[in-house]
Amino acid sequence: MRVYVLRRLLGIVPTVLMITLVVFVMMRSVPGDPVVALLGDAYDEQDAIRVRQAYGLDKPVLVQYAIWLGKLAQGDWGVSYMTGRPVLKDVLVRLPVTLELIVLSMGVALAIAVPAAIVGALRQNTWADYTATTIAMIGVSIPEFFIGVLLLLVFSIGLGGLLPSSGWTYLPGTCPTMVCGASLWGNAQHVLLPAIALGVGRAAILTRLLRASMLEVIRTEYVTTARAKGLSERPVVLKHALKNALIPTVTVMGLQVGFLIGGAIVVETLFAMPGLGTFGIDAIIARDYQQVQGFALLTALAFVVMNLLVDLSYTFLDPRIRYA
Amino acid sequence: MTMQPIRGGSLSEAEVTTVPRVAWGAPAERSESPLVQGLRRLRRSTTALVGVAIVAMLLVTALFADVLAPQSPITSDQTHTFARPSWDHPLGTDQLGRDMLSRVIHGTRISLLVGVSSVLLALFVGVPFGMMAGFYGGRVDTVVMRVMDLILAFPIYLLAIILMVMFTPTAGLIGTMKVTGAIAIVRIPIYARLVRGSVLSIKEKEYVEACRALGVRDPWILFRHVLPNCLAPIIVTTTLGIATSIIVEATLSFLGLGTQPPTPSWGWDLKANISFIQANAWLSLFPGLAIFVTVLGFNLFGDGLRDALDPRLK
Repeated sequence: MRVYVLRRLLGIVPTVLMITLVVFVMMRSVPGDPVVALLGDAYDEQDAIRVRQAYGLDKPVLVQYAIWLGKLAQGDWGVSYMTGRPVLKDVLVRLPVTLELIVLSMGVALAIAVPAAIVGALRQNTWADYTATTIAMIGVSIPEFFIGVLLLLVFSIGLGGLLPSSGWTYLPGTCPTMVCGASLWGNAQHVLLPAIALGVGRAAILTRLLRASMLEVIRTEYVTTARAKGLSERPVVLKHALKNALIPTVTVMGLQVGFLIGGAIVVETLFAMPGLGTFGIDAIIARDYQQVQGFALLTALAFVVMNLLVDLSYTFLDPRIRYA
Repeated sequence: MTMQPIRGGSLSEAEVTTVPRVAWGAPAERSESPLVQGLRRLRRSTTALVGVAIVAMLLVTALFADVLAPQSPITSDQTHTFARPSWDHPLGTDQLGRDMLSRVIHGTRISLLVGVSSVLLALFVGVPFGMMAGFYGGRVDTVVMRVMDLILAFPIYLLAIILMVMFTPTAGLIGTMKVTGAIAIVRIPIYARLVRGSVLSIKEKEYVEACRALGVRDPWILFRHVLPNCLAPIIVTTTLGIATSIIVEATLSFLGLGTQPPTPSWGWDLKANISFIQANAWLSLFPGLAIFVTVLGFNLFGDGLRDALDPRLK
């Protein structure tokens, strides 16, 4: 097991290198020159050459990538051309916001999906099942931002501003400056709508999957045996059936990370949250190479690590699966 | 395991293409193909038919947008900005006084065009690559699948967003083609993987071996005997993929990276009108509803198709 984890951890390195390299090359082939944007009205050819030299932008792309990698190995994520701030610092300030959003949205998704799927599977072809599957179908078909807009209409505008429509209150301990007010209650108010907006779509996907695999598992012989032994319905469903039905669901949850990252960008944009999503999209549009690299690196890492965690969770869900 | 009727592999079917069609049409001689059986099952599913109806309605709307839309979607009217829904403007007007109903109707074109063409583009690139990788194996397989894995290694939105920044979003047909291209690139590996998996099992079947023994050339085996047998998952993935692509298109537009104004696009309209949501909620509501109904239509249709074409899933 330990060898397997080590090997997989090492396997992360080439994937992350490939992703960051491709992003690096792609960003540099984006039409337009960031130096022109940086110098703005004060642009003159001499200055531009000097700025390019200072940032190493005059070198070939692969050399630039090697330099970026070399610095990264020393813990230097580079400095933003546009803001002059170190990328790592910016990323670390924004990471907790996005993490909180994603974790809570997954919580929302599971809280809806698990009961809905169980009811749907146990009472197949009853009105409860039809309700669950219909709502799941609707949930799958609504993009995150439209759910967000509907939530805004109901809770921020309709109910007299019950919950804030934009902005952020940091969790105590994650506040990046001295002046920002951090509070648990304020944070909860700000994160609730975005987390629901991001979670509902996932909930719908998970419900459909989990219901389907529950239906399969419930007809297996070991579930019949468990019932025949006289176990009450609760442990049969939760321990015997659910745990086994979770395997395909967990796989898809891992695959959903790619969509979650996109969803985070959208939801953060909609609710004007200072997270990694807004950081990334702003950096990409402004062609702030260093910030984009930082964002790509972190996204790639998150993506790969999530997939590893998914694979490892199989051993917990099904002890027969062993990684020698 | 359901018994599959034996198809292909015989000399007559592999080699003789000039036989008059009548010979094939005799129903008593030939058993119904799984595809036809599937379509028969599809007709019995209410939800699938609702999906088909929605999709058909959208197609008509897109084709006849010019006739159906009461006004031009891009002509602004400064005297009627933010008009509430009324007889003249059933869905109201936006901040430039443009008729929302006309914009929503014309938005159908962009959504359907991007949704359908991006998936088809991905299909036409991904399927041949997947077939080659699965059929030839070895080095071809390694090279093709490494490239596909590289694309799959990306969180899809990160790749789509950077591709759109690279292509520089513009308005009109060219702008739409750029979005189509970006979404298609992201979707190619899905087809390659799917088809490769099916081909791996199909190429071991006796009828493929029989073809080989008869000296049938590889491309003919691939397109005439292997491809028809992995069509069902391709059809299902395509229908459901259109739904996903429409969401991705709307999301890119929402982020300002889709087809640019003045071309009407639902995602863009929704985003542009959020600033006015306090007083004019309907402006964001209708484009959002349009996206929802469209995606729902393709999802219902695709779900029905899956149930119909793969009876084991029922």
